[in-house]
Amino acid sequence: MIDLFREIFQTLSNNRTRTALTGLAVAWGIFMLIVLLGMSRGVYNGFASNMTIDNARSISVYGGFTSKAYKGYSDGRRISLENGDIGVIESENRSHVDQVIAAKTIDTAKVSTPRDYISDNIYGHFPVEAERGNLKIISGRFLNDRDLDQKRKVIVLHEQNARTLFGDDVEAVGQTVTLLGVAWQVVGVYAHDWEKSTYVPFTTAMFLSGNDDNVSDMTVRIRNVENEADGEAVENEIRATLARAHDFDPEDLSAVHIWNRFTSYLTQLTAMSILDYAVWVIGIFTLLSGIVGVSNIMFVSVRERTHELGIRRAIGAKPRSILVQIVTESVVITTLFGYAGVALGMIVTGVIAYLTKETPFLKDPTVDLSIAIKVTVVLIVAGAFAGLFPAIKATKVKPVEALRDE
Amino acid sequence: MQQEEEAILRLTEINKTYEGAVPLHVLKGINLEIRRGELVSIMGASGSGKSTLLNILGILDNYDSGEYYLNGVLVKDLTENRAAELRNRLIGFVFQSFNLINYKNAVENVALPLFYQGVSRRKRNKLAMEQLDRMGLADRAHHLPGEMSGGQKQRVAIARALITNPSIILADEPTGALDSKTSRDVMATFRGLNEEGMTILIVTHDPGVGAQTDRVIRISDGLIVPDNEIITSSR
Repeated sequence: MIDLFREIFQTLSNNRTRTALTGLAVAWGIFMLIVLLGMSRGVYNGFASNMTIDNARSISVYGGFTSKAYKGYSDGRRISLENGDIGVIESENRSHVDQVIAAKTIDTAKVSTPRDYISDNIYGHFPVEAERGNLKIISGRFLNDRDLDQKRKVIVLHEQNARTLFGDDVEAVGQTVTLLGVAWQVVGVYAHDWEKSTYVPFTTAMFLSGNDDNVSDMTVRIRNVENEADGEAVENEIRATLARAHDFDPEDLSAVHIWNRFTSYLTQLTAMSILDYAVWVIGIFTLLSGIVGVSNIMFVSVRERTHELGIRRAIGAKPRSILVQIVTESVVITTLFGYAGVALGMIVTGVIAYLTKETPFLKDPTVDLSIAIKVTVVLIVAGAFAGLFPAIKATKVKPVEALRDE
Repeated sequence: MQQEEEAILRLTEINKTYEGAVPLHVLKGINLEIRRGELVSIMGASGSGKSTLLNILGILDNYDSGEYYLNGVLVKDLTENRAAELRNRLIGFVFQSFNLINYKNAVENVALPLFYQGVSRRKRNKLAMEQLDRMGLADRAHHLPGEMSGGQKQRVAIARALITNPSIILADEPTGALDSKTSRDVMATFRGLNEEGMTILIVTHDPGVGAQTDRVIRISDGLIVPDNEIITSSR
């Protein structure tokens, strides 16, 4: 076996330019495949890190304007969600509704400390928002039930805002900030790629807005749903419930806006797997052009070496050993240069990963071991195929004719 | 015709026709016997069928009818793999144009037949060195064919032919590409090997080469010319 490789390396190094050019085509194909796979993996990781099947089981509802006249009301009427709708939705759709939470926006408010101030969105929210929104608490805690019960003036900041206000994200916990003219205690700091809102207890936000019973949006956590049809059915149930409560046509899609995260999660999941397939297909076809190149060059090489192969046959090389030699040669070229492509691809995806560290929706765009193994299999199979036909052709030539070929 | 057991190569009624638009009957019943230890030449004009005969003797080509025994083995309708094995073990080839592999040095060229026998690299290089030494080329062992003279190349080729210790050496115009002095050296090498007991068959059209062999077999128009006719028809 070592002898065979010695033979092959001697042949290959005897034709350096040809070997290098052939290899380049393969290396390029593999490089493209790795980069494409890395990018698609990055998009997938970005998606997966912000979304899991559990926190995707939710439907968000926002107020809107009616587009159809109904029960004596004209169209164009504003529908606002109210605190009371929470209980209505929970009680009327028990089989599919797990919990309803609402958010209350505190408009045009700034959070300040003697050091600096911020003016990001401020939401009155429920404790479960941390899990649903995939907020990672890095210091202190998120809102809890007691905060809501007692309408405490506590606040949770994004790490970047905490740094702005206090110069340090960990130190911020326990300190106070000023919002709407009163002092609030910072109880926690969280990290998230793109969500940078400030959170206070929902009940506190409702209390501070006075007589206004409206809420900004509601999020319905749903259960017992498995597929898109289930998801749509629950969405329609919720619309129908709200239509009864607010007297609008249940067919009126603009009266309330519904964002069904569950069905869009399923759609995205399908899109992701299609993306993955597409990348493999594109990559394989790019690689294929490299492989066809190898095959072509092997044909040329076999043609050029007809005389040499004739000599080998005359002194006792079996057709089988000629076949093995040429196929192995092809596999060696593809694998060797293929791995150069893999290495280059790994480096480039690594650099991309580093450069896009701060970019949301693209996370860790690199390939892992399982892909490297798949690529190895692809390379060896492709190399063998590329060499097979030229090799068969080489063994078909009669030694006498081969020797005559000068 | 002697029928002794020493016959290393025996052809009986060998016929060969090249199919084509006009079928060409090249060998028309060749009968030939070569004994162990003989130094024989086959002479004939171009088109006489001597190249075809050589190819059949070298198991590089098939024949249509007749029988060919080499070292007691019937060589007929062999698979390519079996033919390659017999070529490797029983026959040493020496060609007019040397047929060395130009990117391999002398030792590697000489050792190549043993590569196909699966002999280890160290062992076959040692054996190749011995053969080169025998040819007086030990100091050229690591030279490429391009760095050697024609005579040296032919002696490397002879060393390669000898390395498998074959039953017979088939030489096809071994001096055809060499000047007269070098030709004499190469022929001297062949005679020396013959004296050591090697059976050698040289195909040539050079009467000078033929004259240096023990027996000249003439082939004309696809048939062996009987000895008595040779005397009348030549010189």
